[in-house]
Amino acid sequence: MLLRIARHDLRCLAADRAAWILVAMLAGSVAYGVYNGSTWVRFQEATLAAVAEDEASRLVQLRRDAEAIAPDAAAPVSWLDPRSPGVVAGSRGQRFAAAPPGPLAAMTVGQADLYPFYFKMTNRTKQTFIAGDEIENPSNLMAGRFDLGFVVVYLFPLLILGLSYNMLSAEREQGTLAMTLAQPVRLRAVLLGKALARAGLVLTLAIGLAVVGSLVAGVDLRAPGVPARLGLWIATVAAYGAFWFALALAVNALGLASATNAVVLVSCWMALVVIAPALISVAVTSLHPVPSRVELIGAIREASSKASQEGSGLLAQYYEDHPELMPASSAPIAADFLVKLQAVQKTVDETIEPVMARYDDQLARQQELVDRLRFLTPAVATQEALNDVSGTSLGRHKHFMAQVDDFHQVWQNFFIPRVMRRERFSLDDYDAIPEFEFREQPLSAVARRAAGGLLGLIAPSAVLTLAGLALLRRYPVAGR
Amino acid sequence: MIARIARKEFTEMTRDGRFRAAAAVVAALLLAALAMGWKRHVEIDAQRRDAAEMTRRQWLQQGEKNPHSAAHYGTYAFKPKPPLSLVDPGVDAYTGVAVWLEAHKQNDLQYRPARDATAVARFGELTAASVLQLLVPLLIILLAFPAFAGERDQGTLRQLMSLGVPPRDLALGKALGVSMALALLLVPAAVAGALALATATGGGSLAAEVPRVATMALGYILYYGAFVGLTLTVSARAGSARAALLVLLGFWIVNGLIAPRLAVDLARRLHPTPSALAFNQAIDRELKQGINSHNPNDPKLIALQERVLRERGVDRIEDLGIDFAGIALQESEEHGNRVFDAHYGALWDAFARQDGIHRAFAFASPLLAARSLSMAMSGTEPDQNRDFASAAEDYRRELIRIINDDVTRNGKGPGVEYLAGEEVWGKVPDFRYAAPGFATVAARRWPDLAVLAGWCAAMGILATASASRVRPS
Repeated sequence: MLLRIARHDLRCLAADRAAWILVAMLAGSVAYGVYNGSTWVRFQEATLAAVAEDEASRLVQLRRDAEAIAPDAAAPVSWLDPRSPGVVAGSRGQRFAAAPPGPLAAMTVGQADLYPFYFKMTNRTKQTFIAGDEIENPSNLMAGRFDLGFVVVYLFPLLILGLSYNMLSAEREQGTLAMTLAQPVRLRAVLLGKALARAGLVLTLAIGLAVVGSLVAGVDLRAPGVPARLGLWIATVAAYGAFWFALALAVNALGLASATNAVVLVSCWMALVVIAPALISVAVTSLHPVPSRVELIGAIREASSKASQEGSGLLAQYYEDHPELMPASSAPIAADFLVKLQAVQKTVDETIEPVMARYDDQLARQQELVDRLRFLTPAVATQEALNDVSGTSLGRHKHFMAQVDDFHQVWQNFFIPRVMRRERFSLDDYDAIPEFEFREQPLSAVARRAAGGLLGLIAPSAVLTLAGLALLRRYPVAGR
Repeated sequence: MIARIARKEFTEMTRDGRFRAAAAVVAALLLAALAMGWKRHVEIDAQRRDAAEMTRRQWLQQGEKNPHSAAHYGTYAFKPKPPLSLVDPGVDAYTGVAVWLEAHKQNDLQYRPARDATAVARFGELTAASVLQLLVPLLIILLAFPAFAGERDQGTLRQLMSLGVPPRDLALGKALGVSMALALLLVPAAVAGALALATATGGGSLAAEVPRVATMALGYILYYGAFVGLTLTVSARAGSARAALLVLLGFWIVNGLIAPRLAVDLARRLHPTPSALAFNQAIDRELKQGINSHNPNDPKLIALQERVLRERGVDRIEDLGIDFAGIALQESEEHGNRVFDAHYGALWDAFARQDGIHRAFAFASPLLAARSLSMAMSGTEPDQNRDFASAAEDYRRELIRIINDDVTRNGKGPGVEYLAGEEVWGKVPDFRYAAPGFATVAARRWPDLAVLAGWCAAMGILATASASRVRPS
């Protein structure tokens, strides 16, 4: 019976020009969203290719320059000597730590346009390389992107509501509902059948288009974890769509006029998609405010000027702590600026680390609160889940930053002893310069968070559907 | 007659539970946003002031060192937070808060606050501006969409027209009624905003804010006028109240959500900007064409040395009477400045052209004009971010020049360490930034006001025209 109702409803929809327009708008915005997302991914990929090219050519040049120096020639100025470890580590031999775009970044740009995705590693303190940003007009960042995430979170519900706000009310207003119910069919089955028909149509279309579009845009299904992520992406969008259909169903079951249904549903959209996220943001930023970075700047300068004033003392202290690095009196490089600098950097890093951590901790607290409050509105739950599975979330950025931290440590461990022993780089050393290898966020972490979000979408949908079906018992079938 | 119609509309609206609920929500959000904005403004302003004092102290008390090391240590300029940013923070979350001013290099502003926020902030933060730009128009739509269409649905429109009320009066009366209901909400909010502003500026500079506030208010009034006119037009022309509402909501979504994003996409395609990597590589390449004052074997440095010796008529650098290092440093600065001017100039120009396209989209979405004007008057628009960045860069060049002059005059020549102290650091004046005055900003942004006035006038004319052709059933 359900199937027959659904089939009949689809036939009615096919005859309705407004429905065709809505469906065409959905298709158009999905296609445009994927196109925009893939433009962003291509930009990142092109930038990373240029980054790799820059690094490779620099290292080749460095090695060539080092080989060109005759072993018995007079040493060039120390801060230009390609054989000086400080020079290699801090300028000429710098390697990049880069993260490729998230596996499904073309489908949700998310937060990725705010975060730097590559860093030039250095033997200096973390704060010297961490603050860089990709170039972007601030008004563009403010407006946000027309990506698939935007289409799903904002426009998709509107199209669903446009197709389903009058599922029952229109039939009642036309007088056809009473006639339908004169047949051996239950009201419940009619409403459910209509909702399922429309949901089937819209979800198949939206998800199908999005998936095809993203495959065309270059999402690689063979890459590890990508099919699972795509599955989670589809499940999230389907659950989000189901929520809005369930809401429309429940409102239809109230027995109001079509116009009232439309107003009620649009008000719900406004409350859940526009106002609730702003309120969550207010709650999050007032409960765990992240202090302004101007404080950090002051602290960094305080630490670095203090450290450089104590430079020679710190150097002596350093050798006292690390007697194994004490250079022989005939070390090839004189104790110069770079060596002193290295001792100073270490002290600065140690002073600054807790200050920098305060910002990250506070942001982590904010994210924790968002994780809990996201269940208040399906819009936030969906956005978070989409960002997570697409690899464009704060979580993935933190995952990358942790690897950058580790790599910084590896870099320091490789270079600092060489700087402090005042050695010269041998030709083998150039091949041994550490390289960064990005490890993608483990699927288990992503899946756990996305599954939580899914639950937060499915539970209210189920409640709304059941409430709607229960309300139908008192539905005024005839009359306005 | 107009007054009577207006009074009737007003009474009807204020008695309507839906209006009361919607207005209460909007009022609560507006007041909450103002309170949040005020709190944030006061905090950030204090932090910035402390930081500015601290960096100045750090600059002065950096101790005895070679002046060129001091130039490398440099200083920071912190972007001030104008008082009206509590109403409209504009692009502040997406621009850095401070810029490092050091030798040899122009830097971009660092630390975008948006990086220290969660993804929820991207939904749009609750600010007075977002309430004024998005939610108040929605309230207007909800208030006025049944103006004609609702009366037609109920059958009262025929009655009304049989009384011989001129349609123009009817439209005006209804517009006035909506405006009175809105004023009931917005006037108290404006008073609250003025109080917040007064305490945020500390009273003294409040007078300077008056023309900005007035222009901003005028912009919003025109923006709302356009929405009232549009709503009445659609209400008069639509077949039913439901159709009117759906059309208006469609416009609201295009105006607030879709057009701004499309404008951004188009602008980005028409005026692309380089990646940070390409930008910096291009700068580095061109910097290398100049003198490398840190490499004694640089041929250009040697050429400069010979030229200076020739000009001064001496043979040896020791006989110059001044320190050549200072001259070389300044020469390389001058070259760098030309490179930075070209590249940063091109970049900022591309941003400005992108913003110009966003504003041109105001013909489709009045929000873009209202937002641009509001940010401009608040001092949080991209152009004024550029003003600050340029002022900071000018200060950097002045600072480096003073330091290099000191090296030239008091340096001890090659091989001898020259240390300077606080009396040299004190020669560099403190960084004081004066944001562009009202006249400058108004001269730049009057087209936004004109576009809004155009929208308001066009919608007013359309509304009266539609009212005179309204069908009673």
